Amino acid sequence: MTNTTVILTRDLAKSYGSVAAVHGLNLSVEPNRITAFLGQNGAGKSTTIKMLLGMVRPSCGEGTVLGKRITDAEENCQMRRKVAYVAENKPLYGYMTVEQTIRFASSFYPDWRADVARRLFNEYKLPPQQKVQSLSKGMRTKLALLLAFARHPELLILDEPSEGLDPVGIEHLLQTLVAQSAEGVTIFFSSHQIAEVERVADHVCILDNGRLLVNASLDQLRQSYRRIDLVFASAPPEREFRITGVEKIQTKGHQMSVFASRNAEAVIERAHDLDAVSVEVAPVGLREIFLETVKEN
Amino acid sequence: MLWYKAWLETRSRFLTCLATLTIFCAVFVGHAQELIRPEWTADCNRLLFVTQQFVVIMWILGVVLLGMGGIVREKAIGTSSLTLSLPVSRARLLGVRAGVGVLEAIALGVVPWTTIFLVSSLARMPVLISQVGFYVLLLVGGGLAYFAMAVLVSSLVEGEYTAPAVAFGVVLLTAIAFDAWLRPFNLWRLVTGDYYIDRHTYLLSGHFPWLGTFASLSVAGLMLLASVKVIQSREF
Amino acid sequence: MFFKLSPTTGQPLYLQLMQQIRHATETGALQDGDQLPGIRTLAEELVVSPNTVAKAYSELEHDGLLELRQGSGAFVCVERRTRSMADHVQAARRRIRDLIERLREEGLLDEEIKRAFEAELLYPAETVRKR
Repeated sequence: MTNTTVILTRDLAKSYGSVAAVHGLNLSVEPNRITAFLGQNGAGKSTTIKMLLGMVRPSCGEGTVLGKRITDAEENCQMRRKVAYVAENKPLYGYMTVEQTIRFASSFYPDWRADVARRLFNEYKLPPQQKVQSLSKGMRTKLALLLAFARHPELLILDEPSEGLDPVGIEHLLQTLVAQSAEGVTIFFSSHQIAEVERVADHVCILDNGRLLVNASLDQLRQSYRRIDLVFASAPPEREFRITGVEKIQTKGHQMSVFASRNAEAVIERAHDLDAVSVEVAPVGLREIFLETVKEN
Repeated sequence: MLWYKAWLETRSRFLTCLATLTIFCAVFVGHAQELIRPEWTADCNRLLFVTQQFVVIMWILGVVLLGMGGIVREKAIGTSSLTLSLPVSRARLLGVRAGVGVLEAIALGVVPWTTIFLVSSLARMPVLISQVGFYVLLLVGGGLAYFAMAVLVSSLVEGEYTAPAVAFGVVLLTAIAFDAWLRPFNLWRLVTGDYYIDRHTYLLSGHFPWLGTFASLSVAGLMLLASVKVIQSREF
Repeated sequence: MFFKLSPTTGQPLYLQLMQQIRHATETGALQDGDQLPGIRTLAEELVVSPNTVAKAYSELEHDGLLELRQGSGAFVCVERRTRSMADHVQAARRRIRDLIERLREEGLLDEEIKRAFEAELLYPAETVRKR
């Protein structure tokens, strides 16, 4: 188990021609935590992951994973021995049978756990002699995940793991993630399933248009983000509420809705100072934080 | 288990080519021996020479087919993320693929010629095993350059059908070029034995062309090295 | 033990878990000496990060409610101090019941009362200036 930052990037960037997929990314993923990576399609999540794993070369900037430089082919190769990765499209070799696939994957990693592999194999009810190309999408997803979960890596990177799974499968996936985390595996996963992220993630990174907009612990987000709904007797004084932490103000008639990422107490105090008729404070869920952050960008 | 993967990937291509070549050789030689009187030694040897012409064409097409595949193709079908996340270097991935391909190419040369030897021996034709060996060595020693070319093309060209089209195109172009301009370096004539055939006895005579074969194998080696460099600099 | 954590209420999950464990000790669902599930077991059961459970257990140990024994797990210690806390809670609940009755008499609906409590509770340590 490491105590150093598991993933650390400095001004990591990638451009394809004139289009910048990733801008100056400063990512830091701490060990023994579950970190979620949120972003719209095309925000740069997969590109970032590919840069970390040596599949794509950064245009500039640098990074380390488990202390190894991502831009050095040799170091990156050594690092991959201790990293389990499942790409978004759950890649598998169609011409191999389920059994051949498992044997193939297990041969590369000293951290392979045959007992876990057997248990998951039975739980997922995979047909051993069937070729991968004739498996259903759900079965393929489970097999692809099995190849990662049957190991005990230092870092587990998952790109949209719940895609292709039914609700039972998703629940099982989350339980497995939690179990891995309890054994000291650092987990870094990207997902569109905000409800799932809210349950299991310790830390959240929000990426939009290649930029890291939010990088905070989920608990911190839960404690700082607030929506404050105010009603005034006369026209709401919007100008008075443009203080630090206020991200967005919406006014409709006598009502004003303030969306604050922090400093909500100051907003409430100001509201009372300005004789607001009604002050209602509500927590903000991760979905709303994500949507508002991305819209503002 | 990279070797196992490379084998699984090329297995059907290899076995199909092997079966086609071997059956063709057996039938061709078996049929032709009816037309030849065993005493006419020169004719027997000429039969071998003619067979080699056919074998060369089919063998080259076969090894070009075997040289297809690799990570660039995997990118097109979506499995490159899995292969490239394995803790192996890209050089090793290509090396194993080339290694399996070379072994298959050798088998593709040895097995049909062994069949020719067996069939003609059964027909009591005076076939010298040294001649058979000569033909096989010419074929594989000189012809592996085509396999290496196919590997290089598959590393440069994306597209499941474009890569083989380009590779076969190169085969055609080199055949023309060798005949038209590069006469002294005509690989085709080396491989078919045209340079060493005695037109009276139809025996391959003289010393085995170590220099020519070495040059051809060196070119093959350089092309494989170039393939490694190309793969290492690509992005997936 | 039935715990239910709600990710969208604006309160960190570990705080919710701490509260629910405390509540269980107050009502007697958890008694002195009872063993709580291990961190991994509870995390898998609730499908939350093990860090959440670990933090809750650690804070409760700091408060004296739990005893974490290396290798064995987490055990409840309901001290006399905590028992008197339970009395405090009982007394507080009586006061809250009275307040709710008065607010109802003033014409407030239950929903309005509930929302007002929730809104005020989001700032446990803040002194919000009254009008």
